Amino acid sequence: MPFKGRLIGGDPDNLPPAIAMSLARDSQITFSYREELTHDEHHAPMLLSALDPLSYAGYPMGEYEVTASASLLISDGDRVIGGYTASSRIAKPYSLFSEPTHRELDEAARAAVRQAIDRKLYDDAGRLAESVAGTE
Amino acid sequence: MKLGSIAATIAFAVALGGCAAQGPPFERAGAPPGRAVIYVYRPYSFFSSAIHPIVQCGSQSAAIEPGAYHAFVVPAGPTGCRAGTETRDEVEIDAEPRVHYLRERISWGWLIGRPHLDPMDHDEAEAEIRSCCVQQQ
Repeated sequence: MPFKGRLIGGDPDNLPPAIAMSLARDSQITFSYREELTHDEHHAPMLLSALDPLSYAGYPMGEYEVTASASLLISDGDRVIGGYTASSRIAKPYSLFSEPTHRELDEAARAAVRQAIDRKLYDDAGRLAESVAGTE
Repeated sequence: MKLGSIAATIAFAVALGGCAAQGPPFERAGAPPGRAVIYVYRPYSFFSSAIHPIVQCGSQSAAIEPGAYHAFVVPAGPTGCRAGTETRDEVEIDAEPRVHYLRERISWGWLIGRPHLDPMDHDEAEAEIRSCCVQQQ
């Protein structure tokens, strides 16, 4: 990031890397970051899975899905200089042979949405720098 | 003969109904300030009714019967919930001081059913827990 900022909303341990590396306690620029997860899943009926020979060959018996949504607001005093949103969806099937945990899926979705926010920030870095320089 | 089969089927079904947990209906658990409540509930399913995996949230644990729920009152902050048999599922909950819901579901396994802890939306979970589950005794 072309400047440092103060975190006023969000967990300092769970931020997009670009923001995490640009934190300062005494900056007039502020960051507010919010992340949310929504979960969904699809399962074959248990009886069908049990009777289906494909289940025993590793055919998926269902799927887990996690969508991470994130929003980042960057302000310079009272003026909002940047607002970014992103979402990422991770879906993984499970079978008798492999089964992701919810924790693994959540972490993958969080990492993906943070990367997406980072990409947007880097794409907009020039404009942000000009915007901050204009007020100094 | 036919009548006998029907009667046996009905008796079997009634006996199975007895496998579901018995207890008081859903009631919100009180939590002191700075604590979060994680409800783990398990809708009744015939296929998995004999399996009672231990669910652990933070330092507390409970074996939840089919058709029952358990309220874990935990300190606010990141809390891990896990349950396992031949495989293990884990969920990390950022337990802000409010209510969270997990639905325990047992899927097919090689030798024994596998527990899953599905994070649930508040509205859907609250409606479901009221209709499916009683307080774990």
